[in-house]
Formats: sequence, structure tokens, C-alpha cells
Amino acid sequence: MRFNRPAASLAASLALAAGVSACNSDLTSLNQNPNSPENAPAGAVFTSAVANSVSRWLGSGFDLRQMEFLTQHLAEVQYPDEDRYARIRASDTQNTFTGAYNTDLEDFEQVRQKGVADNSAAEYAPAMVMKQWEFGYLTDAWGAIPYSQALKGDSGVALPTYDSQKDVYTGMFAALTKAAADLATPGAQSLGGADPIYNGSPSKWQKFANSLHARDAMRISYVDQATADAELKAAFTGPGGVFASNADNAELDWPGDGVYNNPWSNNFQTRDDHRMSKTFVDTLLSHADPRLPIFAMPTEDFQGGKSSAEFVGQPNGLSAAEAGTYFSSTSRPGAIFYPGATTAGFFGGNGAKQPSYLMTYAELLFIKAEAAERGLGGLTPGLAAQFYYDGIKASMQQWGVADADITTYLARPDIAYQGGTNGLKQIATQKWIALFTDGAQAWFEWRRTCVPTLNPGPDAIFKYVPRRLEYPITERSVNGTNVEDAISAQGFDDANEMKGQTYWDTKTAPTCQ
Amino acid sequence: MRAVPLRVLAALAFVGLVPMTLAAQQGTTVSGVVTGAAGEPLPAVNVAIPSLSVGAVTNDAGRYSFVVPVAKSSGTHTLTARRIGLQAKSVQITLGGASITQDFVLSQAVSQLEGVVVTALGQTREKSQLGTAVQQVSSEQLNTTHDPNIMNQLAGKVSGVAITGAGTQGGSVNVRIRGFTSINGNNSPLYVVDGVPISNSDRGGDPSGASNMYNSRDFGSAISDINPEDVANISVLKGPNAAALYGSRAANGVVLITTKKGNRGTSSTTITASNTWDKPSILPDYQNLYGQGSLGQFDFVNGAGKGVQDGNDQSYGPRLDGRTTGCAFIKKSDPRYDKNNPYVYDTTLPCHQFNAPDGAPWIAHPDNVESFFNTGQTRDGNIAFTGGTDKASARLSLGGENVDGIIPNSFLRKITGLANGSIDVSSKVTATGSVNYIRNTGQNRPGVGYNTGILEQFVWFGRQVDMNALRAQQYDANGNLFNWNYNYHNNPFWLQDYNPETDNRDRTIINGSVSYRPTTWLNATLRSGTDFYRYVINQNFAAGNINMADPNYAGAFADLTDVSNENNTEALLTATKQATSKLELNGTLGGNVRNQSLTTEAVTTSGISVPGIYNVSNAAITPTNSQNLSRRRVNSLYGSASFTWDNWWTVEGTGRNDWSSTLPAGNNSYFYPSVNTSIVLTDAIPSLRGKGYLTFAKIRGAWAQVGNDADPYQLRTTYTGQSSKFGALPLYSLGNTLANANLKPEKTLSTEGGVELGFGDNRVTLDASIYDKATSNQIINLPISPTSGFTSQAINAGKIENKGFEALLSVVPFRSTNAEWTSSFNYSMNRGRVVDLYPGLSTIVLGGTWSATVEARVGEPYGVIRGYTIKKDSAGNWLLADGLPQRGPLAVLGNTQPKWTGGWNNTVRYKNFTLNALLDMHIGGSIFSVTNMFGETTGVLANTLQGREVDWDNPGIVVKGIDEATGDPNTTTVTSEDYFQSFFRLHERYVYDDTWTKLREVRVSYELPVRFANKMYAQSASIALVGRNLVTWTKVPNIDPEFGYSTGNYQGMEFAALPNPRSIGFSIRLTP
Repeated sequence: MRFNRPAASLAASLALAAGVSACNSDLTSLNQNPNSPENAPAGAVFTSAVANSVSRWLGSGFDLRQMEFLTQHLAEVQYPDEDRYARIRASDTQNTFTGAYNTDLEDFEQVRQKGVADNSAAEYAPAMVMKQWEFGYLTDAWGAIPYSQALKGDSGVALPTYDSQKDVYTGMFAALTKAAADLATPGAQSLGGADPIYNGSPSKWQKFANSLHARDAMRISYVDQATADAELKAAFTGPGGVFASNADNAELDWPGDGVYNNPWSNNFQTRDDHRMSKTFVDTLLSHADPRLPIFAMPTEDFQGGKSSAEFVGQPNGLSAAEAGTYFSSTSRPGAIFYPGATTAGFFGGNGAKQPSYLMTYAELLFIKAEAAERGLGGLTPGLAAQFYYDGIKASMQQWGVADADITTYLARPDIAYQGGTNGLKQIATQKWIALFTDGAQAWFEWRRTCVPTLNPGPDAIFKYVPRRLEYPITERSVNGTNVEDAISAQGFDDANEMKGQTYWDTKTAPTCQ
Repeated sequence: MRAVPLRVLAALAFVGLVPMTLAAQQGTTVSGVVTGAAGEPLPAVNVAIPSLSVGAVTNDAGRYSFVVPVAKSSGTHTLTARRIGLQAKSVQITLGGASITQDFVLSQAVSQLEGVVVTALGQTREKSQLGTAVQQVSSEQLNTTHDPNIMNQLAGKVSGVAITGAGTQGGSVNVRIRGFTSINGNNSPLYVVDGVPISNSDRGGDPSGASNMYNSRDFGSAISDINPEDVANISVLKGPNAAALYGSRAANGVVLITTKKGNRGTSSTTITASNTWDKPSILPDYQNLYGQGSLGQFDFVNGAGKGVQDGNDQSYGPRLDGRTTGCAFIKKSDPRYDKNNPYVYDTTLPCHQFNAPDGAPWIAHPDNVESFFNTGQTRDGNIAFTGGTDKASARLSLGGENVDGIIPNSFLRKITGLANGSIDVSSKVTATGSVNYIRNTGQNRPGVGYNTGILEQFVWFGRQVDMNALRAQQYDANGNLFNWNYNYHNNPFWLQDYNPETDNRDRTIINGSVSYRPTTWLNATLRSGTDFYRYVINQNFAAGNINMADPNYAGAFADLTDVSNENNTEALLTATKQATSKLELNGTLGGNVRNQSLTTEAVTTSGISVPGIYNVSNAAITPTNSQNLSRRRVNSLYGSASFTWDNWWTVEGTGRNDWSSTLPAGNNSYFYPSVNTSIVLTDAIPSLRGKGYLTFAKIRGAWAQVGNDADPYQLRTTYTGQSSKFGALPLYSLGNTLANANLKPEKTLSTEGGVELGFGDNRVTLDASIYDKATSNQIINLPISPTSGFTSQAINAGKIENKGFEALLSVVPFRSTNAEWTSSFNYSMNRGRVVDLYPGLSTIVLGGTWSATVEARVGEPYGVIRGYTIKKDSAGNWLLADGLPQRGPLAVLGNTQPKWTGGWNNTVRYKNFTLNALLDMHIGGSIFSVTNMFGETTGVLANTLQGREVDWDNPGIVVKGIDEATGDPNTTTVTSEDYFQSFFRLHERYVYDDTWTKLREVRVSYELPVRFANKMYAQSASIALVGRNLVTWTKVPNIDPEFGYSTGNYQGMEFAALPNPRSIGFSIRLTP
């Protein structure tokens, strides 16, 4: 009898233990993530990817810290390390490279897959076009990149191989051709209002696809003129056509609500490091360009009556001590890029809402002008002048220049189209001006054309303007074999990687002499 | 067993320290007072008759009382008084009905080899029977001095445990037992209070200086909520073997905290108070010969670049020689400019400064950083009441702690209330419960790292800056912010006064249990405990805050709320039976359901409309909201059985099965077994006793397998949304980690062996262990190429191995009636190694700052520091370009784990005086100091005076090395500024041997003689002078080499940490 009670409590414990086991069936459902879904609407993913990709390539990291100094649109007046090329190594640019893939490109790829599953080109084709827009920056800055095997981590490709730049271009041409063609039949599903660029318009996306096709075709025109000729033709005659006015521009209008602001205005809000480059300002001054008062602010010295020079550029690549002496005597970027109040003072402007331009009508016209001058893409040299003038006009209208000023400018003898080699140089110069705020495209075009003449600043740590970017350190440690294969296939000298030339870069490197 | 009218009461064993207490309606009352050699009352002494399994524990007045049931009240028995750290005493008493009064005087003993210790599941066991390494620290040993975090008070006192202080006041204390076991998972021990696991979560502490406010301050670790005055003892289960019964939480060891309890039949009150004054223990060694600027120039116009170098926040400016003119060179545009001699100061121009009229002398303010700090003050007080009848007991303790920080306008406040009690519901049923409420409040907790670290501002700094001017004036006459620089900094006083961070944690730990003892050898207990807290952080940023507030608006704010809840409900059956005269059996069988949830909600905006209203309704910029809920449940069944033969040989086996919600269905059940054994050689072979003065010898060995489960929601890849819309458009982005639907828990196999020896009447004792533990099936976020669209993939792979040796040597070099000196030395040596990760994967980055990383690298210890070297030739000569060092390849520059750590603790007692001194030693290991890197880049540190003796046009350093272009020895002269700035991100230069020794604790106490105490209406009273962190010996320049920042795995990267404070003060203890 005396063991009854112990036996009872033992039984009770075992019952509890059994209860523990019984509870186990709920365990799995408890691990359902209550915060984040396993699936999300294609539109919301597309919006996110657009915002991320545009601020990546036209934003305060890549553009304002590296590209604007390479192309000498801007210069640095304080802590000018970037302007001295001291912040352009792999450690400085790798997040731009890797983030593009694992953030925006992957999201675009998810949208594409959803759209394909929905059998709706209006859903997947914009994602395809945006992918090619991004891949363009990647390959032009780095050379060979993962393309055909990229973005397949969820189907088991953890370490993608690198495609040659030639193959990337072939792939981009094919994708853009398909996107423009497929958009003729948009399908049942559309991104609609979730598309912050074209509000879901299939015909606008066709124009962007074809115009981007033209950009890419022209980019390879010196290394493979035959392909460029064919692809330009395909682009100009693609279904839906190319940009026909500034209304067709691929641009992202920032909400400017303090959360999603134009990235330049975000940077200028707290940093006062940037000034207009002397190279750029001098070019504009030499032709009394009416865009200058829009692109640049009068210097502080001018405003304070200490100087009669209203717009002055800052020499690129000075030492910190030297750069600092220009603080008040050189022009900040124009007030349209400033958010109003900044930590450095009030500069007016409503720059938080300033759009970012992914590709403009003006750029397309300069591509047409060059194609015409060189007899490519079915165009003839006789058409070049008009495309050239139209390009200038489109750029000026895009930036809000008054019609009278445009007329005056176009009437200048030094602006008159000269044709031939000089004409190509004029086209390239105007394109470089029109690409203001897109430092990377301007740098790519400089590498392709050697126009304008760019020299490193006196205190730059390279004695040449870099012609490519180094592959990410993380990529070299994780995906080492594929990166090393890509480096050796391109013949890059590891120790001086900044000198290496990518496939389409045919000019004398590194100096363009 | 005879059937007698017996009421079995007070089965307290399950709550920890107190073994079962038996009382009877009639029986023999045994009571008395236990005092120390100096006459001071000794609390927490276990007084018991082991043969009858009855006894009690002394209260704070040293009193004990228990009743031996009638049934047992006969015969002569041994009454023993024992407590950790004291020499046990036994007397023979004869039970016969009449009450017995028996006082004890116990002297300090260094023997830690015998006595009662608390082990897994709160069981009390004879230490001599344990086959695993357990070390127990008593309240007195713990509370030598006072620190706001109880774990700091444990530093240097337990072998095998490495404790690293925060490096900021109120910050996190990093605790590692026997090294790191998990690559990406949790490496902190489990904390259990009175049988209930509690949270030691922390927030912040990322020295990388993320602009995210929640990372860049160290908000401390939650274990600091525990009031040290409520702790009776802490028992450390050193690793998997001792902790095996905790299964998937056992890999990192367990810290078992047992709180003080009320006592049957007596009552008492104890009052303690202390007051210490705190100063920064170490500040960088600054130079005071050159002021703000660069290349020798500085001319303040607007502090943002308008004047010559005036936006510059470095100290490579003009010499601080009292000049009143000529702080900038003659300009190129000036007719006097001489291009052959461009470095001529223009003495026609006054030196402009931010705070003084033109012509004020350009002079150093050598104490400007030091004068920023206040003398902090830490006050704490506690009052505890205990009391009880023969059927119930209770203790109520109220504590308060008030830390006025060493940085202006900062404080920490803590109030704690702990009520616990037990009551005999019937003769066989006892109920106990406790409620512990804590309110922990902080204001302006010091930041760490680049954006909020207050010392960051003094690394980028002008050595001429007059701190008094900044203190006196935060706004100028026009209402604009007043500061020495407007580009990169805010006035540090303004930051403290107008941008307050406040936080508070309301926490309740509730614990209730009912136990049923049907017969003397069996006990069934049902217990449920909940640790619940709500932690709210509010960070306000006034208009003008450079890092956080949009200048278009009136300020900004960020708020965060954590709500954490862990509940454990356990049923436990315990049996202890003397099966034969020689064989004793112990067995447990239990089940536990653990539910954990953590909800985090945060709201931030960088712009508000109306100044001073930090409320979401005042947001001018749509606030960003985030919300996260994390839940976990683990169900467990476990049991143990141990057999002790003739008191000298014990064999124990344990087993536990966990079912975890974080693992995939069908794959979520795991069994964890362990076995251990111990042999007391001096009992097994009595002839050993006395040989070579040997009084005690024991050997032990153990093997265990335990685990570590996954974090919640690791099985499926998900999209992350944003609360802020793009215009009106919602946003979703796919996560970057490829989930794994087949995860398994990490598995740790551990083997340990130990020896425990006592010599010369246990005046010399040694308790030593060696161990080997290996953790495999690591849950790794395997880095994959981001070009795949994902940055990592969750897998089970990889292995970490830890081998080590730990020992505690205690000696009583001198002992007499009036005086005694005891000395103990503990030593811990752990060698950790990442054995493998995954084919093709050589490293996993745990964290990093300024391009230096802390990594788990195959073949290296866990936590190596990797960064850029200085370029050298094969002979080790620097290869220079233009006279300056160049960046060499990336290399492993050190590892963050020490070679060994140790503590040397001395107690000297002479009559009523006692002196305690603790040296805490940390030998080897490496740290990367960003403070030193930037301190050289900016020229504020004293060593950057090298090469500056000559003027700017005649710079002074010829770096020793080879010119890489020519191959010849370098002859190019460079400026000091160029030289020191050339080391930026050459991490090799700033990785230091993290060897240090600290005089951690000193206490001189005086126990008032009882007659004096009585005059103060007290039974006893003592007063003590106390000091913490009094001296640091180290070769690491300019910083406190001890810093924790967080309880996480990413350690060893210092930036702008506040030094651990040096505290001096007094404490009193009174028992009325």
C-alpha cells in the first residue's frame, strides 16, 4: 500500500510527459513566419526593385562618390579622396556590384517569373527591360559578369560563371528584342500603377526597350561595327519604335517625401563636398551654355560680391589642402538638386522631387546622330546634323531652358554642326553634357570615344583616368575560380586592374592619347 | 517505513539551495546562530542532520531553526554546518524531545571540494559526488564590491569562464564558458534563476557604427536586472557535461542563480548600502602642441569649409604656441606670395577661432577631453526582511540603484522588488512562489562606434578646442547651434542635453510551484515560471542633429519597443533512496514546455513638424514602422539516474529529448545523452589519506552530447515589406538568405576529466579539469555568390573544437585565531579551432569595421582578425612608395581569444578587519583599435608629434624602408600628417596584443564588534571601503583593452568605447 501514492505521482508525471509529446503536433505551425510572406504581389516587388536600382546607379554611392569624378562632371572640395581615386577600389564599389544582383536584379527576376507564369508580357517585359538596363551598367563598369547563370540561386546555381562582355551584349540584345516584341501582346496582367516609370504602359516600355537596345548597340560599334549596325537597325525599327519626345523619357519621379528623395538631394542635405568640375563648367562656359545656370549655382564669392566670376568649376583631384581653398570660389551643383535646407545652409530648390533619368530622348538623338554620321543602323550622314540639333534641343527642354535661349545657343557658330570627325566629337561632347547626373554613362561614353579630353587631377593616386572597376573582394573569396577565369580571359593585369580595357573599349589605354 | 502521524512539510529542494526541511507538530527543535571567526553572522549556512535528512539554512542574522519530527527524535546524530568557502563543522547531538540550541563558529576555508552545490534542474548535490565541473560562488564572494551588472561581479572568480566588461557604463557584459561552440548561433550561457530560465538578451553594441540608433549604443544585457543582494549563490555549470540535462540549451554552460529565501521560525532585517564615485579609468594620451587643421593651417570662418581648413576636424594645424596672428599661409593670389617659399604664415591676419575674438592666443587645452566628463556616482541600497513560522516563510527585498554617469546628463536607475515565500499546505504538499519586479531605466547610454560614440568626437578633434566654451554655450545669440565644427559634429554637450536617449525595461519574473512528497524519498513537483519584460527605447533628435535629423524639419525621433516573454512549465519527479546500507540511488524524471516570444515594434522619422514633440502624430515625414514577432516552443522530456556506492563512487546517466518548433516537422526530435562518474580516492582507499599531506582526492570523468537549435523562421525564404510607401506604392523585396527546409540542430560532443585534491587539512586545494568539446552540424549561413541573387544559404555543416584546461588552486598560507590569509588562483586556458566549414568555404565573416573583419576561418581559432598588412619584402622591410608605407595583402592579424585568463583573489583577515583584493588577468588574444587608427589619422594622439618638431615646409619623417620603385633604402622625407595618414586601413598597425591585468576589486571591511553594533540597535554591522578597476596594466595604447559592447559573437573591434569606470567608495551592512 505504501507505494500507491508514489505510483500515482509517477503516473501523473508520465501523463504530463505524454502531454508534452502530444503538443508536438502544433510545433510546425508555430514556425510559420508571421512577419513576412513567402509570396508577394509582382507590382510591389517591381516598385521596390525600381527604387533600389535607380538609387543604386544614379545615387549617392556609385554616382556621387565614384562616377561623377571619373567623368569630371563634379569635383570634390572637402575630403577629396573620391576625386583622387582613393575610394574606387574593390572595397568601395563591391556593394554596388553585389547589391545589384541580390537586391534589385533578383527582384526583377522574380517579377519576370511571375509575369511569365501569368502569361502577361505587360508584367514580365518591364522587368526584363530593367534587368538589361542594370546589366548594362554592370558589364560596362566591370567587363565580364555573371549573366546567363546569374540569379539562379533558388534553382541551385550558387556560384555563377562569368559571361564575356560580348556574350552579355548578345544576351541583352536578345532580351530587349523579345521584350519589345512580346509587349505587342500585353496579356491579362499588368503592373499598372505599381510601375513608377511608365504607369504600366506597354507602348512606352517598347520605346524604352528599343532605345536601350540602341544605346547598347552603339556602345559596341567600335569593336564590332557589323553587329552594331544590325542591332541599331533592329532597335530603330523595333515594334513600338524608339523615344519620340521628352515625354517618352525613362525617368523616375521621386516622391520627395523625406523617405524616398532624389538621392543627390539626400546627399547634399548633409554633405557639402561636391562642386562643379572645372572640366565641365569650362566646356559650358566656352559656349555660353544656357544649361549652366541650371546645372550650377553662382559661387559664394560671386554672391558675396567678392568675385565677378559667377560660375566657376573646381579642378578635379586636388589634395585636401588645395581643394579646400576653393570652398567659396567654385560653384555648387544647381539649386534644383538641393532639398532646401541643408546642414550647410539653405540653397533653395525642391531637389527631393527631382526626377532621376534612366535614359532620355536627348541621348537617343545623339545615338541617332552618331549612327547617321557613321552610316549605321540604316541612317545616312546627311541626317546627322538634324539629330544633333534636336538632341541639344531635347536636352535643353528636358532641363527647362527657355526656347529663346535654345534658339540663341543653336545659332552660335561654335555649336554649328561640322560633320565628319569634328562632328562626331561635337556629338560626343553634347552627349557628355546631356548625360549630366548619369556619371556612369558619361564615363562609358568617354571610354568609347575619348571625348572630352579628361586628365586625372594633380593629386590623383593613379596617373590616368581609370577605365574599369575591380571585381568585389567578396566575389573573389566566394566565387574565386569563376572571377579569376574572367580576369585572365580579359587579360587584366591584376596589379593595375584600373587600366584594363573591357571588350568594347578600343581606344588607346589608359590615356586616350 | 512505519506508519506514524507524520506531516512532511517544506519540501524546498526544488527551488534550489534549501534541502528538504521537515517539521512536526511535536518534535525536537534545533536552532542556533552561526557566526564567523570575527563574530559576524553568517547567512546561507546549511545546518543539517544528514542521516535524518532534516536541516535548515541560516538567515541574514546567521540564525537557523528546524524541527526534527517526533518519529526521528531519538538517538545521537551528527549535526553539520557547512557553507561554500567555509570550513564545515560537525557536532554530535542527542535528540530526545527537549529543544537543542547549538551555535557554530565557522572559519574561512578555501576548500571548495566538499559541500552542497546546486546542479542542473536546481538539484542540490554533494560536490564530492559530482562527475562534472561545477563551481559555486557565494553571496559574500560575489558582493565584494558593487557593479550594476551582476556578471561583472563574477569576473575573475570562476575558472573556465571568461567575462569581459562592457566598456561603457551600463553596457553588455560578455560571458563565455569554455570558448565558442557555435559559428553563427548563440554562444552565451543559459541563465536560470531558481529553476526558471530568464533572458539575457541585449540590444545594440555594434562598433561598426551603423547609423541605426539601435545598433550604435550598447543598451546593456538583461541579466543586469538581477539584484546582487538577492543572490544567495551562483553555481556555474561549466559546459555541456554539467549542463547536459538542459539539452539544446546546454552547449554553452549554465549560470544557475539561487536567490535568498526566508527562514522558518525566525525573522530578521538586513540593510546594505554603498556609494562609489566613478571616473574614466583610461583616456587616450593626446598631443597638445598642434591645433586643429591640416598641413599647418587653420582659420575659422564658418566651421564648414569656408575658412582655410576650417571644415577639417583633424589636428594637423598650426603649432599651439600662443600666436595671435598667422594661422594660414600667404595666399597664392597675394602679391607677397613667393612660390619658392609658399609655406609662410600671413602674420597680418589674426588667428580666427570658433569661440574667441580675433587675436585670442592659439593655445592648447590639454584637459579638454577629460573636462567633458563628470565624476559619476553610483549609489545603491537594499533592505531585506525575512521571517517565518513553522509552516511558512517569506522574504521581501527592496533594492534601488542610482548611477549618475561619467558623461553629462546620463544616468541609470534600477529598482527591484523580490518577494518569495513558501507555505506548507498540508503535511505532504508545499507551495512556493516568488515575484520579482524590476524597473531598469537609462538615459543617454553611451554610444559605441562611429556615429554615437561620444569619444568619436574627441578622435576627430581640434586639440585647441576649449570645452568650457562648448559647455557654456550650446546656442549662439541668434539661436543657432554653437560648436567648434559644423561639418561633421554637434556640440557634445548639446547632444547630451537636447538629444536625450531614454529607455526603460519593466520586468516581472514570476515563479510558482507545488510539490508533493508522498513519502520521504519521493518528490513530485509542478513548477511554472515566466520572465516577462517590456523594453522601450526613445531617442529624440533636436533640429540640427547632423547624423539623424533632416535639416528641413524640426527634429527627428526613433522609438523601439521589445516585449519578451518566456514561460517554462515543468513537471519533475525526484527520488532519493538509500537502497542498501552502501548503495544510494538518485533519480529524476521530468517534462518541460518552453514558450518564448519576442515582439519588436519600432517607429522612426527623420523629420517632425513642431520642435520638442517627439510623437508619431507630429511626424512631418511619414514614419517608418517595423514590426516583428518571433515565437518558439520547445517540448522536452528528460531524466537522470545516479548510483552512489559507499559514498565514494558515483555513476550518473542523463537523457533528454527535445522537440523544437524551429526545426522541420519529422526532423525536430533530438535526444541528448550523457554519463559521468566520480571516485573519491581518499574514501575508496583510506590509506591514501595523510600520504604527502593528502586529505582529499577525487577523480571524475564525463561524456555528453547536447545541442543548439535553429532560430525561428529559418526554413522558408520570404519577402520583406516596407512600411513606408513609394509615393502610395507598397514595396516588397525577396530576402537574401536561401532558406533550408531540412535544418537540423547543432550537435556538441563533450568529454571532460577532472581531479580534486586537498592537502594539509584542506589548506591547499586544487580543482582542475581538462575538456574537449566539438560542435558539428553547425547551422551556417553559407555565403554564396551574390550574383546568384542570394548572399547566403542556410546549411548544416562545419565543426568547431575547443580543448582546454581550467584549475582553481586555493591556499591558506596563514591561519591563526586572530588572523587568516587565504589566497585562490583560478586559471582558464581554452584553445578553440574551426576544424572545417563546408567544402570550398574557408571563412565565415562574423562582423567587421573599416575593412577589418572578425572571422571563423578553417584551421584558425574562432574569431580571427583579418585585415590589410603593411607591404613588405621577404626580409620584412617596408616597401615604400614616395616615402610612404603601402597596403600589403590581406592577412590574419590576430585572434580575439586569449591564451589564458585568470583571477587571483586574496583575503586577509585580522581580527575584525578583512582585506579582499582581486587581480583579473587576460593574457594574449588580439584586438583591433579604431580609436588608435583614427587618432593617428587625425593627429590628436601624442605619438603623432613625431616628425612635427620642424615646420611645415621642412617636414620631418624619413620612413625606414625600401623604396619599391628603386629598391634602394628610402631617403624621401614626408610630413607627419602624410606619414600617419598613410596607415589608414593598414590594420596590421592597429591590431594589439590584448594582454592586460586589472586590479579588479579591493575591499577593506571592518566588522563592528557586537557591542558597538548593539549600540546602533543592530545585531551586526560592517563598513567597508571598496574600489573597482583601480589599476590596469596593459601595453595597448590609449584605450581600455577590456570592452564587450554586446553579448554577441562579434568581438574584438574597439571604437570610441568609454573606458570601464574606476570606482572608489564605501559600503555598509546593517542587521538591526
